[in-house]
Parts: sequence; C-alpha cells; structure tokens
Amino acid sequence: MNRLHLLGASLVPLLGATRTLSEGAIIGACAVLMGGLHQLLLAPLRHRLASWAFTLASLLLLAALASCLQLALRAWLLPLAVALGHYPALLCLQCLASEHLLPNHGRWRLLARYLAAVLGACLLLGASRQWLGEVAGLHLASLAPGALILLGLLLALYNRLRTGPAHPRRQGTR
Amino acid sequence: MSRLARDAGLLLLVAAVAVSVTLAWRHWTSPAIVDAAKQLQSRERLAVLPDGSYDNQPLDHPLPTPAAQRPTSRILAAYRAELAGTPVAIIVVTQTQGYAGPIVLSIAIATDGRLIGSQVVEQQESPGLGARLGDPQVNWLQQFANRHLSNHWALRRDHGDFDQLSGATVTSRAVISALQEALSYFDEQRSVLLEGSPHE
Repeated sequence: MNRLHLLGASLVPLLGATRTLSEGAIIGACAVLMGGLHQLLLAPLRHRLASWAFTLASLLLLAALASCLQLALRAWLLPLAVALGHYPALLCLQCLASEHLLPNHGRWRLLARYLAAVLGACLLLGASRQWLGEVAGLHLASLAPGALILLGLLLALYNRLRTGPAHPRRQGTR
Repeated sequence: MSRLARDAGLLLLVAAVAVSVTLAWRHWTSPAIVDAAKQLQSRERLAVLPDGSYDNQPLDHPLPTPAAQRPTSRILAAYRAELAGTPVAIIVVTQTQGYAGPIVLSIAIATDGRLIGSQVVEQQESPGLGARLGDPQVNWLQQFANRHLSNHWALRRDHGDFDQLSGATVTSRAVISALQEALSYFDEQRSVLLEGSPHE
C-alpha cells in the first residue's frame, strides 16, 4: 500500500467540495478532524477487539463523528453547510479507506502526512478554482470535471517542480 | 466464549457512548441550528430588497395568500415591506417546477405593480446550465427588474422580450412564467396584500 492509494481515497470530497477557497478550507479542516479523531478513538480499541467487532466499532464511531460534524456545520456555518451538501458525510469513506490502508508500522507519521497533504490539496484546489472561475472567467473550473483536470495539472506541476530524485515511476518516459 | 462475550460487551459500550454523545450533541446544537436556519431564510428571502428601503420585519408577519395555486407555480408566502408605516413592496415567495426539481424564487413587487427584483432561494438545476440562474456573474434575473405585467413575458425565441439562460430553455421558461404569475397574482390580490392585516 502506498500513499497514492491514500490520496485517491479522498478524491471525492477533494473534487466535489472545493469550489471556493472557503469551501476548500472547511472540507480540508473537516477531513483532518474526522481522520484524526477516528484514528485516535480507534487506537485504544485496536488490540482489544476481534476484527469483526473492530470493524463494527469503527463504523459506529464514524457514524457518530459524521453526524456531529454535520450538526456542527449546520449550527455555525449554515450557508457553507448548504453549499457543501453531503460531502462532509462522504468523508467517512475516506476514513474507512485510510483505516484499511495505513500500515501498522509508522502509522501516525503517515497519517499526519496524509492529512496534511489532503488539507494542502483542498486549499490549493479551492484557491485556484475560485481564482480561475471568478477572476479569469474560466467557468469550467467551478465544475467537478474542471476540478479533475486542474488536479491533474497541479499534480503534474508538483512532480515537475519536486526537488530531489523522483521515483522512476513518476518520471515518465522521454 | 469469554473472548466473544468481552468483545460484544466492549462493542456495546462503544455503541452506547457513540449514540449518547451524538444525541447530546444534537440536543446542544439544535437551538443554534434553528436560529441559523431562520437567519439564512430571512437573508435569502429579503435579499431582493435593497438595504434601508424598509424598516419593518416583513418575515414576522406573513400575509394571507388566497388562491395560491397558479397554472404553473404556487405562491408559498407573501410578506409586506414597509417604510415608516406605508407599504413599499410585497415579497412573494413562489415555487415552480424546473428542469431537475422545484425552483423557489423570492420576488419583490413594488406597490405600482413593477417588479423590483427576484432571487433564487432554492434550485436543483443542472450545474453549469440551469444552475447559473442565481449566478451573480451571469446575473440573468437582472433583466426582469422594473418590468410590468404589460411586457411580453416570454423568451425571444417564443416572441417575447427576454433573453434565455443559455442551454437551459426549460429552466428559463419556468422562471419567466413564475415571475409573470407572481405579478398577475399581485394584480389580482392587490387589496388583500396591500391593505389586509397581517396574520399575527
């Protein structure tokens, strides 16, 4: 399992809920909060429960976390909550996937890096989509397909600018 | 066996804690949610009127709406905005069927039957097409400002006065007929809306 799988797991909220910078910031913060709390709450249960019971407990905790998050958004950020729709609840999928994909060894460090990457990607995507949509007048950027294209371009740019030796798989062929 | 029982017990404990925390959280946030919903609703419905053009709280006193069912739309509510005790505008909230679902519009009508402005309160139209209805950049609803019932309320392609929202003919037609029906509703119920005493 590698980090690309992890980032892929958060593709849905990343593309759907980053139309503006504020939306991107909120969904990124929610992703960090949900992912962090979920792992934190599961940590004491991990070695005490059999795997079937652990899965069930994980689902129960996720349901509770998602409900509380949705309620909090509605109470204090209602206009944004309406704009985000069901995406905060879909963060559950990402938490389930990360629970499954994170290795036992070096779990917390990888989780922190992954959540930071998600938050960064949400902020970057939100800022660039808002700028493209409102200032540059590129209407496509505010739609989900435009977000996918933009994310691809940003990843390409990241790979191009990344200092240090890149993994051979990421270099492409010349 | 004891392992199974212990697992089940722990799981039950987790479930109980999860459910009770969620319920407590819901109980604790519900007043704030009600408040926020009310605020959002009033902001959406009153955004059609410029600030300072009224000094009462229109949403606190809904007007009676007899014969609310129109041919293609339904009047959901009507409010009267007043400045120093004299009515300046009637806000009509109307619902019509769009392309993908209901569209709810808030429409401000001046006392002389002129349309002051309109605003989308709720819609589920296709993103990028009909959903641009409320887009401030396109500002499509702006063209209806200051129009009367005497205009030709139809799209140019239907020999009317108005441009359509590109790629969204069904949405455009639905909105235009809803606006026209709101204006004719105002015309019909003029006395009720302007003079009738509000519900307390």
